[in-house]
Parts: sequence; structure tokens; C-alpha cells
Amino acid sequence: MTIFKTFLKILNKNKGIVILYSIILIFFAGFNLQTNDNTMQFEKEKPSIFIINHDPENTFTKEFVTYLKNNSEVVELEETKEAISDALFYRSVNTIIIIPESFGENFRNQKNPEIEIKCTGTYESELTKMMIARYFNVAKVFFSISSTEENFDKIKEIVEKEMKIEMTSKLNTQELKRVANYYNFANYSILAGCVYVICLILSSFKKENIKKRTIISSINEKNYNRILLIANSLFAMLLWFFYCFISFFLIGDIMFTKQGVGCMINSFVFTFCAVTISFFISNVLTNKNAINGVVNVLALGSSFLCGAFVPTELLPESVQKIAHFFPSYYFINNNEKITSLENWSLTNLTPILTNLMILLGFSFIFILFNNFLSKKRRKSS
Amino acid sequence: MKKIIEIEHLTKEYKEKKAIDDLSFNVYEGEILGLLGPNGSGKSTTINCILSLLNFQKGSIQIFGQEMTPSSYEIKKEIGVVFQEVAVFEELTVYENIDYFCGLYIKNKEQRKQLIEDAIQLVGLEQYKKFYPKQLSGGLLRRLNIACGIAHKPKLIFFDEPTVAVDPQSRNNILSGIETLRKNGATIIYTTHYMEEVEIICDRVMILDHGKIIASGTISELKKLTQIEEKVTVEILGLLEKEINKMKELQNVIDVNYQNGLLIITYKKGENNLPKLMEYFKKNKINYQKIYSERPTLNDVFLELTGKELRD
Repeated sequence: MTIFKTFLKILNKNKGIVILYSIILIFFAGFNLQTNDNTMQFEKEKPSIFIINHDPENTFTKEFVTYLKNNSEVVELEETKEAISDALFYRSVNTIIIIPESFGENFRNQKNPEIEIKCTGTYESELTKMMIARYFNVAKVFFSISSTEENFDKIKEIVEKEMKIEMTSKLNTQELKRVANYYNFANYSILAGCVYVICLILSSFKKENIKKRTIISSINEKNYNRILLIANSLFAMLLWFFYCFISFFLIGDIMFTKQGVGCMINSFVFTFCAVTISFFISNVLTNKNAINGVVNVLALGSSFLCGAFVPTELLPESVQKIAHFFPSYYFINNNEKITSLENWSLTNLTPILTNLMILLGFSFIFILFNNFLSKKRRKSS
Repeated sequence: MKKIIEIEHLTKEYKEKKAIDDLSFNVYEGEILGLLGPNGSGKSTTINCILSLLNFQKGSIQIFGQEMTPSSYEIKKEIGVVFQEVAVFEELTVYENIDYFCGLYIKNKEQRKQLIEDAIQLVGLEQYKKFYPKQLSGGLLRRLNIACGIAHKPKLIFFDEPTVAVDPQSRNNILSGIETLRKNGATIIYTTHYMEEVEIICDRVMILDHGKIIASGTISELKKLTQIEEKVTVEILGLLEKEINKMKELQNVIDVNYQNGLLIITYKKGENNLPKLMEYFKKNKINYQKIYSERPTLNDVFLELTGKELRD
């Protein structure tokens, strides 16, 4: 109890650090959650065009212009060469369509007249070209059969038929993306919080003379180490619980879904791994002043490399390969996988379970390293 | 007298160097044993072996009649150690630090409370209970270090140079604290570089060099080991080389040293050395300002036995 009480007293002395990392998490995660994610929303896009019509009276041309106007944003410009060039250069218009004289008549007579198109070469101008080609292709078919006025209605019906997109997924992708973002960012806070606080506390307990005094006291050394292990693990679990609790506040009901619970379980395993890393570092590190530097390098470095702040897809391939050597990579990768998982079949769960096993594997390796170092140190003394 | 520590043929080797060479000695109940020796003589290694902080190749160590091993928790309950380096938590107050170290031995909260108060009183830290270590001076820190080591009222206490870099007030406080501990029945092993401390508080002294005991006994017994009987110091100006050489031939004189107007004549055992010297000065018309005689100190014994100053 004395050791545990002292642990709490030292933790209390360092509570500022825990609060700081929590504020960083709440601030950045909260900020991140405010930014909308549009990856799964669809919106019809209209390119901007300017039409110079030298055949305004013809019915076919009129119908064609109406079609263009319905499906584009028509921009008002001066019909001078200079004004048109400027508009294209400054991208205030994507496409200039110049309809020649007698265009409609010639089209109906299947003489294959051509319209002049000037464009910026952007995606929007290509969209306009496709729209025009579509209209002409459909019109050609109808006018090759007959040249009646009824064709216009039929053409209109076909070309203006909108494509229906049905979302088959029932996932609330936008909300789940927020869950993934929060827990990805928690990678930094959990790792930094655990390593910093545990190393700081253990460095006090493992100070050479204090350790000597403890060894010569009547307390069993194994018991002493066990109490320290339990106390540190308890702190880490409280930290994890606190961050999960915050996620309920920041993200809301979505945390009660399978995906939300999955992310919490994933972060629990990661926290366990962070504890083993902390013990390993405290075993290696002898200088208390170096802890801050190590925390920054480890927590910030692995968070950047593994995609906690920037999506991994945006990182160079070489960086992504390096990221595989960090537990954070598997934690973050799992967050993404869990939040996009709809069918919870064993096949779909396998990659997630694999990542969890890798995280546990990392923990096991750190435990082995710890034991090895402790034994070596005991032997050498 | 009851033996508290019995050490027989203790040998500790580091690779090919013997740090302790076939050491055998006993420590008796209620005594203060001073452990002296130059740096590297094996003092700390001996203490570390006794405390089971170090393994050793040969020999046996018994404390309170039982063999001492790393898992002798019942024996450890009765041992207190005050290390040379201050070993306290910077994050805890004076009271909390003593509470922690006392708590490693005493589970009962009420009993512990009383023991902490006693320890604080013993080292004179009553006014500093709520101070953090970094708020304390060097001397007060050492007192806290002592309080942490003895709060559980052990029967056997090891003090490893507890007064290094301590102001005179704290030193006196520490020494009187050690005396009180002995009066309360504790057996103490005390290592230091300060001979005057040994002369004040130790009942018995053991001088170690190269891992071996080169002398052991009470202070007066040790002083008898030296050839030096008396040292006469004379304040005298302008003494000639010829006169110094003449004095070396006087009866019982071992050595004559003249520096900065101070003449030190070392005598071996003999009688009336001082009157005879004064007579010699009178006869040879040598004028002096002051003259006084001293008995040999423990430092002289140490120097003669080891050939080194204690701090070498």
C-alpha cells in the first residue's frame, strides 16, 4: 500500500502532463471533428460555358442550346477575342462553344457540321465535350430515321435522363470517419501520456540509491516490482478509459455501435502495448531529463509516420514501409478498417484480428526485452 | 557480548582483483564499529556483501545468528542503512519520504506515525516536515537521508559517510543522533573519512586496506600500535639547516620537520621529551614563541599503517 500510495503521490505531482496531453487530444481531435468530410457525398457538378450562337433561329440549334443551358452554368461575356481569351486564362469559364451559321439545318440534313470549342483542358471542359457528344450521338440516331419535330422530345427525354445512384451501404460513414479520426489522434495522446508518466514515475522509483534502499528493506523485491507494474497498468487503463469517455462526449451515440466499441477495444490493446513500451524505455533510459526528448521522438514521430495526423495514402511509399515497424501503424490501420466494416463476418474480421495480434506481438517482444535487460542488470550487479 | 554480525573468511573478487581478501570479524551488540580505509580499500564492498547487495565467492555472513541471503526478509527488518548519497524522492515532502521508507518495514499506520515523529525529532527536522528535498540545504538533506534509514528503529544500522559535505551544526546534530541511537540499543557500523568523528563516537575501529584488516581494536589500542608517542610543535623563526640536523640526533626523535616558521618534532616512546627539548633550546640559545606537545592521533596511526592519508 505504501508503494501504491507513493506512486499516486508522484502521479499527482505529474498530473499536469496528463492534463496537457488530454487537452491536446481534445483540442485537435475536436478541431478535426468539426471539419466536414465529403468523401461519400455526391453532388451534380455543372461546368461553366459561354455560347456564341451564329444560328439562333434554327429549332435544332435552339433545342441544343437549351440542353446546354440546362446542364451548365452559362457565363455572360463580351463577344470579343480578348475577353474570351482572358476568361479562359483566368478560368472564369471552362468552355467556349461557337455554333456556326446554318448549323441546325446542316445537322438535320446529316451533313456532319462541326461546332468550334475552345476550352481550358480541365475536367469541367471535358465534361462539357462529353455532354455535347452525347447530345449529337442521340440526335444523329433519331434524325437518321426521320426528320420530324417529335424527335426533339425524344432526344430531350434520353439525354436529360439522370443517373440514379443508390447507396447500398447503411453505414454512417461521415460519423464513423470522425470516430476513426479521434482514435487515430488518440495514438499520440495514449503513447505520449503513458511513456512520459510511466517513465517519469519509474525513474524516481528506480533511482539507484532508492532502489538499493528498497532491496535491503524487508519488502520482497518481486512483490515490489509487481506492485509497480499493477500501479502503472492501472494508470494506463484509467487514461484509456478517460479518452474513451471523452470520445462519447465529442462524437456521441455512434460510439455505441459495433464500430465504436471496436475502436475502443483496439485502443485498449494499443494502450497495453504502450505500457510495455514505457517499461522498456524506462529500463533503457537512465537519464530523467532525456524522457521528454524520447517521448517527442517516439510519440510524434510514430504518429506522423503511421498516419495519425496525415492519412497514410498521402505519405511516400518508403515512409509507409518504415511505418510497418511501429505498433501505431497497426493501431491506426485497425481504426480505419473497423470504422469501414459493415459485415462483421470472420473473413472481414481477419485483417483486424491480425492487426490486434501484431500489437500483442509487439507487447510480448517488449516484455521479453524488459526481462532480458532486468536479468542482465541483476547479474552484472 | 552477543555477536550481531559474524563474518568468516569473506572473499570477493572482481575478475582478477580481490576486493575483499579472506576477511573475518565480528560486530558486537550495542557497539559502534568504525570502518576506516583509503578509497578502494574494500569498505563499501564489505558493507554491500553484508547487505546482500553483492555476491561473494567465499566465506559466510551471519547476522543475528542467521545466515544472511537476499531473501532474509526477517533479518532485513532489523537493518537500517544510511547511504553516502542522498536517496530520497524529490516529489515527496520530508514527512512523506520518511513515511515511504518506514512503510517498507512497518505496515501499521499508527505505529508508523509515531516512528516518523521520533525520527524527525532525532535528526531535528521538526520545522521542515512539509518541505520538499530541493528546498532543503545540504546538511538538512543529509539529516533527512538519515531519518529515512533509521525511522523503523532497526537494531543494526550502517552509516556510510553520513557527514560528507555537511555544515558543523548538522554534523553535531548527526553525531549526537547516532549516539542516541546507540543509547537506544542499536549496533552501528560507521564509515567515514573524518578521524575526529571516529575518535568521538566509535568504540572500536577496524582499518582496511587492499581488502584486508590491517589493524583492529579500540582507539587507545590502535594508538599503541604506532611508534609515535609524542609530537612537539614549536613556533620558531629563522632556524638554520645545521640546527635542524642537530635536533634529529636528539634522544627518541623520529623526525624533524621545519616549514613556515613551524617546527614539528616527532618522538617515539620515551619520557620527558618536552622538558628535554626546552632545555636544549635554552642551552643553545634558540628563541621560540610558543611550544606545545600532542599525543598521536588516529590519523597518525592510519598514516603509519597504510602509508596513505585517509583521503588518498
